[in-house]
Amino acid sequence: MVNGYIATSLQEALEIRASHDVVPYAGGTDLMVENRQGVEYLFLNKVSELKKITADDEYVRIGAAVTFTEALANANVPQLMKEAVSRIAAPAIRNAGTFGGNLGNGSAKADSVLIEFVSDAKLRLVSKKGERMVDVDKFYLGRKKLDLGSDELIAEVLLPKKGLEQYSYEKVGGRNALAISRVSFAGVFAAENGRITNAAAAFGAVADTVLRYKDIETTLIGKTIDEAKAMKEDYLKAYAERMVLTRGRVSAEYRKNVCMNLLRDFLTKFGI
Amino acid sequence: MNEIRFTLNGKEVAYAGSATDRLLDVLRNEYRCTSVKCGCKEGECGACSVLIDGTLLNSCCVAMGAVEGASVVTMEGFRETKRFAALDKAFGELSAVQCGFCIPGMVLAAEALLSRNPHPSEDEIREGLSGNLCRCTGYNAIVNAVNNAAKEGNGLW
Amino acid sequence: MEKISQSVVKKDHAPKVSGRSVYVADYPSDGVLCGKILHAKVARAKVLGVEVPELPEGYFYVDAKDVPGDNNVNIVLDDTPVYCRETVEYIGEPIAMLCGPDPKVVEQLRDACKVNYEELEPVLDLRTATEKFFDYNFGHGDVDKAFAEADKVYDEEFETGYQEQAYLETQGMMAEPEEGGRMFVHGSAQCAYYIHGAVMRALGCGPTGVHILQDVTGGGFGGKEAFPSILGCQVAVAAHKCKKPVRCVFDRREDMEYTSKRHPSLCHYKVAVKDGKVTAMDIDVKFNAGAYSTLSAVVLQRGIIACPGIYNVPNVRVHGWAVKTNTSPCGAYRGFGAPQTFFAVEMMMDHIARDLGVDSLAFKEAHLVKQGDSTSTCGKYHFPVPIPAMIEEVDKACDYRKKRAEYAKPQTGRYRRGIGMSMYFHGAGFTGSGERDLIKAVAKLRKYKDGTVEVLASNGEIGQGVRTTFPKIVAHELNLPLDKVYYNHPDTARVPDSGPTVASRSLMVVGELLRRAAIKLREQWVDGEEQEVEEHFKEPDFLIPFYIDKFEGDAYPTYAWSVNAIELEIDTYTGIAKVLGAYGSFDVGTPIDYNVVMGQMEGGFLQGIGYASIEKMDYDAKGRIRNNSFSDYLIPTTKDVPNLKCMLHVEKYPDGPYGAKGAGELPLVGAPGAYVEAVEQALGGVTLNHAPFTAEDTLAVITKEAI
Repeated sequence: MVNGYIATSLQEALEIRASHDVVPYAGGTDLMVENRQGVEYLFLNKVSELKKITADDEYVRIGAAVTFTEALANANVPQLMKEAVSRIAAPAIRNAGTFGGNLGNGSAKADSVLIEFVSDAKLRLVSKKGERMVDVDKFYLGRKKLDLGSDELIAEVLLPKKGLEQYSYEKVGGRNALAISRVSFAGVFAAENGRITNAAAAFGAVADTVLRYKDIETTLIGKTIDEAKAMKEDYLKAYAERMVLTRGRVSAEYRKNVCMNLLRDFLTKFGI
Repeated sequence: MNEIRFTLNGKEVAYAGSATDRLLDVLRNEYRCTSVKCGCKEGECGACSVLIDGTLLNSCCVAMGAVEGASVVTMEGFRETKRFAALDKAFGELSAVQCGFCIPGMVLAAEALLSRNPHPSEDEIREGLSGNLCRCTGYNAIVNAVNNAAKEGNGLW
Repeated sequence: MEKISQSVVKKDHAPKVSGRSVYVADYPSDGVLCGKILHAKVARAKVLGVEVPELPEGYFYVDAKDVPGDNNVNIVLDDTPVYCRETVEYIGEPIAMLCGPDPKVVEQLRDACKVNYEELEPVLDLRTATEKFFDYNFGHGDVDKAFAEADKVYDEEFETGYQEQAYLETQGMMAEPEEGGRMFVHGSAQCAYYIHGAVMRALGCGPTGVHILQDVTGGGFGGKEAFPSILGCQVAVAAHKCKKPVRCVFDRREDMEYTSKRHPSLCHYKVAVKDGKVTAMDIDVKFNAGAYSTLSAVVLQRGIIACPGIYNVPNVRVHGWAVKTNTSPCGAYRGFGAPQTFFAVEMMMDHIARDLGVDSLAFKEAHLVKQGDSTSTCGKYHFPVPIPAMIEEVDKACDYRKKRAEYAKPQTGRYRRGIGMSMYFHGAGFTGSGERDLIKAVAKLRKYKDGTVEVLASNGEIGQGVRTTFPKIVAHELNLPLDKVYYNHPDTARVPDSGPTVASRSLMVVGELLRRAAIKLREQWVDGEEQEVEEHFKEPDFLIPFYIDKFEGDAYPTYAWSVNAIELEIDTYTGIAKVLGAYGSFDVGTPIDYNVVMGQMEGGFLQGIGYASIEKMDYDAKGRIRNNSFSDYLIPTTKDVPNLKCMLHVEKYPDGPYGAKGAGELPLVGAPGAYVEAVEQALGGVTLNHAPFTAEDTLAVITKEAI
């Protein structure tokens, strides 16, 4: 084949990846818009190992070549993720777009990646030499920069099975469909015996990477709702000070305003 | 060099060009499937929609290497079916076609929707067609036509 | 419903729905050269020279030096060059065209061309631009006296942005040299004869040296009124040089960035009010024409004639000017200058009403024009003004008055609602005496021996249905089945000049010519013979003559009328407005096919809502349009206004066929007024002065006003 390789197994894909300078191609929806010249693609849409959704005790494992449409039809995929991917673009894009591609494109606007950030997902990266697990936030080194070796492929996204039941998800796009996120927000909340155990908040499409401030989140952990309420304004202020946003299709001020409104609403929603 | 083999509107074909070529360009230039329209080349308008193994895709966002072994259906093939006849009639009765440029893609989006959901609600129709821009109609006539086709074409989907 | 209004399956339905229609990009490429334009990359500069890479055999570089005739495109004035002169005046201005068989190679060659510029300071900002292309003044009454005697004077400025036509098929033209030296130009277009005139001039040939065919056209909305004349000249010159067919089809980014759009505007209203009534308006309307004048004269004329709205204002002074900036030339877009001024006047009336403590609808009603009243240009509203009845229709459809009162009460919580209303007209047909003095439309019917009848006219099917409605009229008069009458895409080699496909004129003006021609043919009908009849435009005799130098007389013979209401809900956390319902009553006279007219109303109304809300286009500090793709310039999808309800109100026009008036443009015009008024209400009665009003704008107000 001219300018391309079709792999039919993960082994074959990794061999090609290691021995050729190829661009991994899963759904194509971003790559074909970029339309890079003089490249060779490694087609992954026939690699069955990458097309599975499985679940173990701890994780739902979504293969890198699973499309958003496939995920929406799968009972194992958490509702939070479904809500986010159901609002990606339109059916034809969801039919093509994949979890691995959303990650590999490296954009902070990637709607599935936001959910991976807020849920502390892990990524399984594989190469001929072996495999490694990386936390999703460590995978992003900067704008369009990924911790992915030239011989590696993203194999799976590991989403925690538990703890994603109570959430807040908001996508702010320019219109009701076919919309690229201008701001996206996901918050996950959990409490046990009246004490907060998780209050994760992630902000997409507002900076070079998805933003999350775990050190600020930590200040709520272990608190009762009433204690959290008392420190709410300081908590929000800490975010406001930390969040330095960039402009894009909308201004940095707009993004900041929306982020703060949605964060406040997230807290309010869970009684804080 | 291996060619890329796939089925186009039921016929086996082999493409000898680059695996990075856009399906849209290949369909239009190599196979003269000019019902597949180029509206943006960015997956943002749906004018180039085709069915690949029954799934709706923007052919501008598909590289040729990805269609190896697949079945590609464009309006050139779909227009020979009974389902098309039902959609054709419904679109015609409501004058849902104005400039026509979005229509082949729109009809294929309707087919993709109905084949998955034969009795869609209005909201589901609007969702199913949400990736297909039309600048002429305001969409009401198109949405109503798909609704009518679903009702009158009972059993076809 | 009258028989003529009953819907039929459109004549162009079958080929379009099945994908068989051939648009200009769909012709085979065999033997056809691909043309790609070398666009200027700076907003204003002297072009010192172009370093062209070595061209392989069969590849060509075409520029102004290759124009055999005149390097000026015939539009209204002739300042638009076919290919640039010594300077470039906006980013995107065509410098040259690269032509050759392989599109990829052509693109590489084009990108390898190095243009040496001597950069000059561009003028970009509409506010500070002062070079006038056009400058008009008119008015009536004693404005100064009214202001001196006023109880209160209101002074506000309104701003509107670009709007891109966003037809799904981009611009594209093709030129083919024919044997005998004639040039055949065809493509996506609205006005075959405009292109004919322009190409003749560029090639320096007579009327028979060129012919133009309108191909199946994937939407126009005004965007293919003048622009195809420019592109048509460019491909014709290229084909003349290359001696081969040349086709140039724009890609989406090229189209969005460099082709004509709706004029951004700045309208300044000074209004005198005495005893609760508007006594005078002193209005300044400034349009951003862009780098060349193209259609700005006529767009501005329509805009300023409409600027006092549909209200009786005894004293009016209007100044309108279109200024040059170093940006893409603006041109025709559905509504043609009127959406800008109707937005301003509707907001102005709303703001005055609120200040006076009266409801804006009641205030507007108290000022409405009626039959027999004088127009802004001292013409006359000759026919009934159905607005009061249409207000009731809209009120009934959406419970307007009740919701308006309810949403006016203080609201709390994340989501807030508002509803707004606008009312307006669209003058039917050309402004002033254009039909009589410039267009002089001719239409023909040719009957063949087999009894079929062909319509011969130059109005292009662009989705609005003329391939169906013209034959419907003729078949109706001849009492023939519709399949016996047909109308093909116009080719100037075989159809008379019945005028351009613009100004909502085709059906009203040319449709009436065809109706009269059909009556004539009916009277002369002889079976088995080939016969031809012809009709010429005659101005209705009731008209008060219009003088464009004074802006005096009947600017339009009649008007299409509309009332719109838009109800929305604002998310105060994000600024996003969800349109809960959009309701419109439209009077375009008798619909010549109900579905066709409804399709125009719904499509136009949605475009108007886009213009009011999400369709934002801007340029950067260098003058480059930033929103140049469908992901950066957003138009409504199926999911944005699911509850779009249009109604027809029929006030017949005796000089239009069966009572039909102009239709296509009307439904776009009023949406911004209704939309922004609804946003104002949802935000607790703030005063807003621009459109589009985006989510970002809304959130800025919420933050500023601590709503």
